[in-house]
Amino acid sequence: MRIACPFCGERELGEFTYLGDAKPVRPAAGASEDEVFDYVYLRDNVAGETSEHWYHGGGCRAWLKVGRNTLTHEISSVEPAAGAGARQAAK
Amino acid sequence: MAEFSWSPRSPLDHALVTGAHGVRDIEAGISLTEIRNFDLIQVMARRGKAAELANAAKGRFGVAAPNAPKAVQSQDATLIWSGPDQFFVLSKGGKHTMGTLAPALSGPASLSDQSHARALISISGAKARTMLAKLSSIDVHPAEFPVGAAAATSMDHTSVTLWRGGDRPDGQAVFNLLVFATFAESLWHTMLDAAAEYGVEIAHSEWLA
Repeated sequence: MRIACPFCGERELGEFTYLGDAKPVRPAAGASEDEVFDYVYLRDNVAGETSEHWYHGGGCRAWLKVGRNTLTHEISSVEPAAGAGARQAAK
Repeated sequence: MAEFSWSPRSPLDHALVTGAHGVRDIEAGISLTEIRNFDLIQVMARRGKAAELANAAKGRFGVAAPNAPKAVQSQDATLIWSGPDQFFVLSKGGKHTMGTLAPALSGPASLSDQSHARALISISGAKARTMLAKLSSIDVHPAEFPVGAAAATSMDHTSVTLWRGGDRPDGQAVFNLLVFATFAESLWHTMLDAAAEYGVEIAHSEWLA
């Protein structure tokens, strides 16, 4: 499996580390205990398209948001995660 | 109170033995040269200040700092891309140090002195690409990795900054590699193992390629 880092280009999987699901959004300060529990602990076990955070630690050390199909390992999209690089990758 | 005397020495001071290594009865296919006593400053744009840093760097170095994996040569420094919105300033002789760069760049960027935190190894020779292919997943074919190409990547699970410098006078390509000081010895031994079958000429130098 290879991931096309938007900053470095296509690189082998060994340069990247998987963090986890990129979908959960931190609940507001006044959120209920159930909502916080859901955010911290509960994850969907998706068979198909997922959105994940990966870290290019063996390369440019940027956080990436990767669209990946868990059935085929096909990668559909790679973009800088929020805050990764003060601007978008130079094309 | 005890008096201490600190004298800087290379991370490869112990491991590097100048002369021939590996196969001896052929012309050495690999030259490994450690470059010592360089100034290396990491420049990272502050949030939202990338454009301002680009202007400040252009003013300071006379060339645009790289905003993609490339190494750019200015009159007296090499600017090497090290990640999004960040680059290294590599130079010799105190021309670009924290003291001289901070006034120009510390507004839009964070600076950090890495002079003693990295080892710099220069790899060349007829078999340099063949040896690199054992250690790296980067395609170093001339068409894919021309003079001035750079990469933040890993070799033997160790983060390195790799870039292609100017060719040697004999036309051979030169690959420069910055590695964390504490990993330098380990990577050095790995490189010697990878290069032994081609014959290695080992040296150290005070001069940037």
